Amino acid sequence: MIRVRATFEKCGRAKYISHLDLNRCMLRTFRRSRLPIWYTEGFNPHPYYSFALALSLGFESSCEILDFNLNEDIPFDEIRDRLNAVMPEGMRIVKVAEQKQKITAITEAEYSFSLVSDDIDGIYEDIGRMLALPEILIEKKTKKGLKMVDIKPDINIKSCEKGDSSVNVVMRLPAGTQTNLNPTLFVESLKKFSNIRFEAEKIRRTGIFCADNEIFS
Amino acid sequence: MLKDQIEKHLLEVQKPSRYIGGEVGSIIKDKSKVELRFAFCFPDAYDIGMSHLGMKILYSLTNERENYWCERCFAPSEDFEAIMRENNIPLYALESLDPIKDFDFIGFTMQYELSYTNVLNMLDLAGIPIFAKDRTQELTQIVIAGGPCVCNPEPLADFFDIFVLGEGEEVNLELMDLYHEMKKNGASRDDYLRKAAQIEGVYVPKFYSFVYKDDGTIDHMEVSEGAPEIIRKRIIRDLDKVYYPENFVVPFTEIVQDRVSVEVLRGCIRGCRFCQAGFIYRPFREKHTDTICKEVKCLCENTGYDEVSLASLSTSDHSEIDPMLTKLLDYTVSERINLSLPSLRVDNFSESLLEKIKKVRKSGLTFAAEGGTQRLRDVINKNVSEEEIMNTCRIAFEGGYSSVKLYFMMGLPTETDEDIVGIAELANRIIDLFYSIENRPKGKGVQISISCATFVPKPFTPFQFEPQDTREMIEHKQELLLESVKTKKIKVSYHNPDVSQLEVILAKGDRRLCKAIYTAWKKGCKFDSWEEYFHFDRWFEAFRECGIDTAFYANRRFEYDEILPWDHLDYLVSKEFLIRENKTAHQSKTTPNCRLRCSGCGVNKKVGRECF
Repeated sequence: MIRVRATFEKCGRAKYISHLDLNRCMLRTFRRSRLPIWYTEGFNPHPYYSFALALSLGFESSCEILDFNLNEDIPFDEIRDRLNAVMPEGMRIVKVAEQKQKITAITEAEYSFSLVSDDIDGIYEDIGRMLALPEILIEKKTKKGLKMVDIKPDINIKSCEKGDSSVNVVMRLPAGTQTNLNPTLFVESLKKFSNIRFEAEKIRRTGIFCADNEIFS
Repeated sequence: MLKDQIEKHLLEVQKPSRYIGGEVGSIIKDKSKVELRFAFCFPDAYDIGMSHLGMKILYSLTNERENYWCERCFAPSEDFEAIMRENNIPLYALESLDPIKDFDFIGFTMQYELSYTNVLNMLDLAGIPIFAKDRTQELTQIVIAGGPCVCNPEPLADFFDIFVLGEGEEVNLELMDLYHEMKKNGASRDDYLRKAAQIEGVYVPKFYSFVYKDDGTIDHMEVSEGAPEIIRKRIIRDLDKVYYPENFVVPFTEIVQDRVSVEVLRGCIRGCRFCQAGFIYRPFREKHTDTICKEVKCLCENTGYDEVSLASLSTSDHSEIDPMLTKLLDYTVSERINLSLPSLRVDNFSESLLEKIKKVRKSGLTFAAEGGTQRLRDVINKNVSEEEIMNTCRIAFEGGYSSVKLYFMMGLPTETDEDIVGIAELANRIIDLFYSIENRPKGKGVQISISCATFVPKPFTPFQFEPQDTREMIEHKQELLLESVKTKKIKVSYHNPDVSQLEVILAKGDRRLCKAIYTAWKKGCKFDSWEEYFHFDRWFEAFRECGIDTAFYANRRFEYDEILPWDHLDYLVSKEFLIRENKTAHQSKTTPNCRLRCSGCGVNKKVGRECF
């Protein structure tokens, strides 16, 4: 048995595949590829595979992680090609490799998105003003009900630039098995803070990282 | 482009992947090389329509033609419909995302009466005139329908240009080929319809009109433009040679029948007198085991599904059922595929069959007993004896099952209170049986679920002449059944009688109902088969405003010598046979199944060969 890690893109129309549906979709993709996927040994054997992080419905990604086991030792490139031959439109395996780090090593994910507005300068300024606040409180649903949480310490802006009709933002947010912060929470906070109308578009996960800025692989 | 407009709002709706296409197996063609475009529309939500086997067959079949492109189209759910209307997004097909109003054919499959209003709603969303008479004389936008409901298409006659009777694999292409040819020569819509009407199985309703008597029944029918007096349904003669798809569109979102489905036979030998499918799909034809196995393997490999189901009206009536299952299970077990077998009959449910099913099934067993007493089961020709029901339950209990679901109908012809009480008594005897079995499943109680539908008399059945029970009669029987059940081991559920009443009106109605359907849709009726959208009050108002006496259709006995709205359509079974069967029913006598003895329905004569 070999353990492998596939990195895949989920773009275009594939962004409307929900996480639950993605599970079923991958199962069928494996079956179409006829790769010898390893089944769990138990009362109800099922093919074993898992996604490192869930991706919100409507987000694109260039760096989704899928772990699975195969019963035979097959070259990584062949695995990639056999899967790509039967993948749905918008989904493509970029790389198949061994599993270097544990899933639990993931600490951050990077996102890029565009804030489309008629008033780019205003949005750009409001982002700066909001980030200068002592705290950015949002309501977060927990098991015990709604709770106010300060997300400011979690927001790590990598770039923020004015484009032709949008402000383009790249930011890192906590991700992994412990905590996750969805970039839409930042967008909602900005919508509450700012009086300018804008829409967040082209939200895309662009990287998954471990501690010390190392790319997860 | 429509795509951008759609995508702008897609994340505001439930299950957006239903509206954007791109599924594995969907067929994309180069528009510049396509000469004919067909929108295959299912008048219900994606989740339901995508489960329909007929669509999968005709979709793939049409797309085999390089220059024809068949695409899929479904009724949007309420949330997305609101967005479409607000943003002027016309109804579009899922492959190209092009508006279907620009297509050559807009074809609907009519599977159940309660989807009729959805057709009107979809045409309206598409921007296609709802009434056929309002469509352009140009040769485009031909709105056609097929499926079981078009065996009485009269309530839909004003909305369609063409109805296709019977099986579509051949006639659909004939219609498209004729169109393709005539379009080149600049023919008009009427030119095309006149010629199309000469194809066997093609019914062009506008060439037919009806004159009614004072009592509301039909006096006579008038035919114009040289269209045939009688339109005969089409059948495929050899199921081993007919086209069957090698691939299905595999949806992302979960659908009702989310699996590979392979048809094993068409028609039914049983002749249950209430069952429309049992008559309109005659003659009985089987696919060979080898063909079935080949198709199962091919579809599983291409789609990646790990579940397959055998489709038919009565799978256990296949003459090779045991060897077929043995061969199929060899493949499915080794490939870790689940095999499911709906449509099993009580009477030929053998121990060896159960052993095979047990390997693949986890869920409970369901049997359609239909009637609570032997007398009533004889009336409906459900040739199942109590002994057989008990025997089957015994096999099931000994095999480890502890819950059984039983289907019954209420309001059957000749039914009395005794028959209703008989349902509860039968369930009680099954409970007693369970506790009398030594090796019954231990530590579990027995659970009997009784599901009671209201009988809906349908065209082309021996019961087509029968009235339906009134609402009051059905309510009385429902109460009686509840009173008769005195243990929590029996659970009872039943249908809303208003729904069944609407079904019978639409099933047995004539052309005068078109305006009532239109009026009901105008009042907001759609998705009538969905409980939360069913508004009988609006339907009732619509019938009243259109001067329709619902009892005339629902609660009146249709006379044997009356001209019925569907008498000009020939579904191969003769009216004389249906009358004979109706009389036999009223004598509580049964008719043996077609394999035991030919009952002379007339199909073999018309097809020109013996069924067995």
